[in-house]
Amino acid sequence: MKLRWIIMFFPVLSVVVISVVVKEHAVKAASPQGALAAVAASVAGATPNVSGASVIPDTTLAINSTQPLSQRVVHYEIDAKYDSAKHTVDATEVLTYHNLTGQPLDHFPFHLYQNAFQPNATWIRETKVAGGRDVSYEKWEDKDYGSEEIKSLEVAGQGDLTSNVRYIQPDDGNKDDKTVVDVRVPKPIAPGQFVQFKIAFQTKFPETQARSGWKHDFVLGGQWFPKVGVFWHGAWNCHQYHATTEFFADFGVYDVKLTMPQFEVVGASGVKVGETNNADGTKTVAYHGDDIHDFAWTASPRYRVKEDGVFQGQMGPVQMRILMQPAHWSQVGRHEKILRESLEHFESWYGPYPYKTITLVDPESSEAGGMEYPTFITGDTSWFMPKGLYLPEIVIEHEFGHQYWYGMVATNEFEDAWMDEGINSYTEVKVLDSILGKKTSGINMLGATFGEREQQRLSYIGVADLDPIAQKAYDYYSFNSYGGITYGKTASVLLTLESIIGEDTMAKAMHTYFMKYRFTHPTKEDFLKTIEEVSGKDLKWYFAQAVYGSQVMDYKVLKVESFPVNWYVEKETGSHKDDKNTVYRSYVWLQRKGDFIMPVEVEIKFEGGEKIREHWDGVSRWTKFTYEKKAKLESAEIDPDHKIQIDRNDFNSSYTAKEHGRTALKLTNYWLVVTQWLGQALAWWAV
Amino acid sequence: MTEHQGLLSGGWDRVASNKRYIVWFYLLNLALAWLGTAAFKNQAHDFLDHSLLSGRLLHGFDIGVMVEMFLQPEFGQTHASSASGLHFALLFFVATALFLPGVLQGYASTYRLPREDFFRACGRNLWRFIRLMIVAGIVMGAVAGALFGIQSFLEKKAAESTNELLGFEVRVLSLVVIFLVMTALRIWFDLAETDIVLSDQRAVRRSIGTGFRHMWRNLGRLLGSYVVTTIVAAILLGAGLWIWMRFVPPASVVGAFLVSQLMLILLLIPRFWQRGVAVRYYLENMVEPVAVQPYTPAPVAVPVVNDPAPAPLLPDTPPETQGA
Repeated sequence: MKLRWIIMFFPVLSVVVISVVVKEHAVKAASPQGALAAVAASVAGATPNVSGASVIPDTTLAINSTQPLSQRVVHYEIDAKYDSAKHTVDATEVLTYHNLTGQPLDHFPFHLYQNAFQPNATWIRETKVAGGRDVSYEKWEDKDYGSEEIKSLEVAGQGDLTSNVRYIQPDDGNKDDKTVVDVRVPKPIAPGQFVQFKIAFQTKFPETQARSGWKHDFVLGGQWFPKVGVFWHGAWNCHQYHATTEFFADFGVYDVKLTMPQFEVVGASGVKVGETNNADGTKTVAYHGDDIHDFAWTASPRYRVKEDGVFQGQMGPVQMRILMQPAHWSQVGRHEKILRESLEHFESWYGPYPYKTITLVDPESSEAGGMEYPTFITGDTSWFMPKGLYLPEIVIEHEFGHQYWYGMVATNEFEDAWMDEGINSYTEVKVLDSILGKKTSGINMLGATFGEREQQRLSYIGVADLDPIAQKAYDYYSFNSYGGITYGKTASVLLTLESIIGEDTMAKAMHTYFMKYRFTHPTKEDFLKTIEEVSGKDLKWYFAQAVYGSQVMDYKVLKVESFPVNWYVEKETGSHKDDKNTVYRSYVWLQRKGDFIMPVEVEIKFEGGEKIREHWDGVSRWTKFTYEKKAKLESAEIDPDHKIQIDRNDFNSSYTAKEHGRTALKLTNYWLVVTQWLGQALAWWAV
Repeated sequence: MTEHQGLLSGGWDRVASNKRYIVWFYLLNLALAWLGTAAFKNQAHDFLDHSLLSGRLLHGFDIGVMVEMFLQPEFGQTHASSASGLHFALLFFVATALFLPGVLQGYASTYRLPREDFFRACGRNLWRFIRLMIVAGIVMGAVAGALFGIQSFLEKKAAESTNELLGFEVRVLSLVVIFLVMTALRIWFDLAETDIVLSDQRAVRRSIGTGFRHMWRNLGRLLGSYVVTTIVAAILLGAGLWIWMRFVPPASVVGAFLVSQLMLILLLIPRFWQRGVAVRYYLENMVEPVAVQPYTPAPVAVPVVNDPAPAPLLPDTPPETQGA
């Protein structure tokens, strides 16, 4: 069926391909700035006329490749005008959809994400009940309101179908939720056929929430246009917008024109292909994106821009464009450095970054910070950011990582949020450990240290027994549980997996997974199967507990004990002195307190320095090791190499025969100083 | 001592010649805090003494390990031990209120105040101080509430600006203003307390009025002295923390204890210095001259034994008793 359509559109395709190839050669030889001009010219030729025959263009203007990299399902052409006073966008959208589902389609669901910001919407309800990232909605204010309204919808060849647009609530039946609409088409779209929607819509942004919206004169346009769902596993997958979910969409091509006041500094996904000043004081900026599945943009009159940084990637140069708040300009070097280092590590470990640009936005408010869109990410910093506090580095690395785990390996964030957030948190630990140090990758200042892997683990252990990893993002007990499990547990589970299959094998598995599934929508089974295949090990026992189950690991050294074998002789002689020939019988008791079963190593240390490594399969609830040696037992430690990241309590994983109270005294001294100082402060002011 | 000695140096002289008060208050502060941390100490010993992981807290300051410790149910509830610390901090505040009259009396004395006079001053002024503190609490609470309310309003307004630094600047500036206003109030009630003790003033309202008048008339001079002593306290705190972090090895518990305690005992000095300033000011400006009849000895033919005179509030010569 697909072949028939290709033959039908062969003349058109030929013209487009030839046009693009010719211009690509010119682009390759040009500088980045020159390339943009060439891109601008080529897009005009490559973009099909909306009134003409429908096709998804196979442009490669925004990627360092002569061939499309994804199976392109959609082509969005959006002409949008932003009103910075009303925070609204009035736009027309032409969506060309290629039916590659293998079956006729008689209806199409669309996301209208901005409708989530209405008092009775599911997003708000869930945030009020289970908590959220930015706001608690103690009271409702007008500025919190957002909307996305389809003014008209026409299907090429089928006429105006605006009356066929129906709000649906596939997840919770909340009739007040308007984040998904379904459009019935009278004439089903046959497999392999293209369908073209012409939609007029208006979007009103709220004040920044969920990393989208306006703040003062800044705006971040994310999830702002009607976006079609994904036909996946034999059905449409188009979930409502939930408090704890992000997004899922098909790959394609984006051509977006943004019209706004001339004083605005604009950044967006893809490459800029044109900018014209209009007579009414506005300007129109055009962007083009290839092999991406979303499009975001930002504007503010106060951005300071650094765009001379170029990263020489494996597939070609990548222009790094950084838009900073004026008050943060002194940190632009930090931003560029971590972005470049992240690119280097990801290319070297996982695979090439194929896009020609990466835009890093330092947003006006933290509610808009820390978000990923294809080739476009937001950081998060403030005017005061000491050098040893690595918050900007963590956020930027994390969001850049999403270019791989979300941007290219486009998993379903509604149903398997751990596959983008969690896998990305794992690679975040690996990359930041490499750049900033294992124990100092979060904080390294004033003698205090904090590592990223520790941060991930801590976020998990507080919610360890609440939810499994493998469940829909919106089914978690709370926002904290979602965060702790999706991000923290996944990272910890994958770090622990290194102890089972080896760090190098795990790295190889991640590389294989990326290369095999980039520009597709893999499932959790695809990911787990890849690890098993690369490692050559059956890991179902581990995944069943760590990924599909909510078992909690807690191994404990119950106690250790040593006493002379001939204790009665010593007692008779009254001698209590140890001598070198005294033989001691020593015991070590281990307990598996949690319900997570996993083989562990134990290191037994004796006075004099002798060490013994034991292996315990952990199946029984407890076990005991016995020794007879001419030395007393000094300590026992489970997981002596500290490879296990999912043990809920690391303090009880070791036990020393002798008490050592200095740590407790040190902490007590801190407590004492605080108490004394508090008393003095009270007495200073109150009497 | 000259009559017109500067407030700061005059106040300092009183602190320097009565160092024992600082030592006693420090010991009280330490003892109460020690009791307040007992629960935490037991929790920490139980949890950490046999674990190898605790070494990461001893040989550095690993925030992750510290957070994990507090997250563990096995460590126990921290609010119980922190509440206990807070209660003992409150106890120190009460003790300060109780013993302060004796300190003021001692500062006003030109000799080492006898122990019984110290405690007599404490007992005599206890109820007066409670009444004064209630008034001070109401006034300072109301003013602080209003000022922090204004600060919150200004910060909200500043947040509407696109200048990110404006909010911080407003906060710093408003905190400085709040500090100055609250210090002025503190001066007012410090003078009132001094007046109550040294004038043996039963009518607390009169001392409050007198304190306010003098604070208002000499605000610049008094505020300057108080601000200088507060800056000294801030410098001591900063220097103490810096020395602690810079020179004390992470695993040195004794070193950390000594440096932190030295810092805390030094931190007591500025507030006692302020008390010395208040007493100095009182003696210089607030004490009402007592009309003394010229002494004319009458011719006496036969020696008589006079009744002992009542102890003066501001004795000129030290009696032969042990000091407090």
